[in-house]
Amino acid sequence: MITAERKPLEEIIEYIKPFKRILLLGCNECVTVCAAGGRKEVGLLASGLQLALLKSGSSIEIREHTLERQCDPEYVEELVPMIGSEEAILSMACGCGVQQLATRFKDKPVFPALNTKFMGGSLSQGVWDERCKGCGDCLLGLTGGICPIAKCAKQLMNGPCGGSTDGKCEISDDVECAWQLIWNRLKALGQEDRFLDIMPAKDWRSGGGGGPRKIIREDLAE
Amino acid sequence: MSFQKRLSANEFVVLAEMHTPKGVNISRLVNDARRMKGRIDAIVVPDMDNGIMRMSALAGGVLMQQQGVEAIIHVYCRDRNRMALQGDMLAAYVLGVQNLLVTHSEDIEQSDHRDARQVYDLDEVELVQVIATLNQGKDMGGFELDGVPEFTAGCTIAPYSDEKGLAGELEAAAKKIEAGAGYIITPPVFDLDSFAGFMEKAKELNAPIIPTVFLLKSLAIAQYIARSEPGANISEDLIKRIRKSSDRELEGIKIAGETVAALKDLSQGVMLQTLGWEHKLPEILDMAGL
Repeated sequence: MITAERKPLEEIIEYIKPFKRILLLGCNECVTVCAAGGRKEVGLLASGLQLALLKSGSSIEIREHTLERQCDPEYVEELVPMIGSEEAILSMACGCGVQQLATRFKDKPVFPALNTKFMGGSLSQGVWDERCKGCGDCLLGLTGGICPIAKCAKQLMNGPCGGSTDGKCEISDDVECAWQLIWNRLKALGQEDRFLDIMPAKDWRSGGGGGPRKIIREDLAE
Repeated sequence: MSFQKRLSANEFVVLAEMHTPKGVNISRLVNDARRMKGRIDAIVVPDMDNGIMRMSALAGGVLMQQQGVEAIIHVYCRDRNRMALQGDMLAAYVLGVQNLLVTHSEDIEQSDHRDARQVYDLDEVELVQVIATLNQGKDMGGFELDGVPEFTAGCTIAPYSDEKGLAGELEAAAKKIEAGAGYIITPPVFDLDSFAGFMEKAKELNAPIIPTVFLLKSLAIAQYIARSEPGANISEDLIKRIRKSSDRELEGIKIAGETVAALKDLSQGVMLQTLGWEHKLPEILDMAGL
């Protein structure tokens, strides 16, 4: 999923303080799962904003709503009947959702309430870690299901660097060395020989090196 | 005889590391290099070593060549993509620097520019491969070069803390040798017995091995390394020797000189690392009888 964290309240207030009526819009997808921008968080943020603005002697009317998916034009269309009287939209989706709104509603200011972080998964309650950089050329089949692009600080392709010590990365003792994890996994799978293969320099074009990426499925595209 | 020829002829090589300045005052670097002319085979010029932004090694290497001392410059992957790396290496070659040392680079988080974006388009193994490709007259894109360089490329073994770490480093070095590295620089040697054990294991790499000899400038530095890098094997006896000495600076120089002398029988060279005390290099060589 795409993970996100809410921006500091002060930053959000800076965005919305010129307006009297805004739509605060959550998303039921990834940001709900990572407890950053779902229905519950929309309610909490609306209350927080109201309180903070009241304290400073101003007020704002906040209409709360949560879409099934903000990145999907089909669901964004739901907003058309309700958007007219709103002066601005504060989105609690990831950056994809924010841009979907900005593209659809060209005359409405759209602001992000979240900082989109990374593609990852849940480690335990309240903890998420990065697992995929979307490089467009998945190597997990060669690296024991552990990604050196997402999990190695240097995105190395041919084993650990000199900064790997006792299975930890040089950037922090809290960060495991991805290549140690890969080695352990290949060993467990009886595929140690794969570690000795020299991987060629990566073609980064599929990872965005050639500009913004697009997928066109001829069988689905209209 | 050039560094490359001495390596090929299995001659003992003496290298010394000299850093470029953080700025444009090159007088100390140039003076240090001149002082060592004729006494060492090459000067190794790190490039933003330990993540400290400095004048690039390319310029440092050219300055060394201008003083009549052969240069070996560091190349690494943190700050340049494949185009910049290839371009700079070709530039180095035409300016007289033909020796390269592919090194590990400190993570940007540990640098003095922590807000910078790191590159890592390639890794060390791939960079060694690229140098071999350039030597064959092609660039990474497969295009022919107009004028083919003849680089001598080496690689490093990073400090390791235990046998498992050493095994990993030897595996990594084997890959770099397979990719085209022609010599290996090892971490500092403080214990000759451990180094002999290392050499026994490293024999299978079948490449010239050049250990680092680090000048212990003070008791505090020796104690710090002993505490923080168990794999360095700084013994309690060595610490005692420095502590009891009436002239600790001189003791450090003696230890370095003795280590160099002993390594003549164990390795194919030494790389002296004096971290700002390059003016002490002649004394170390005197002590070593070189």
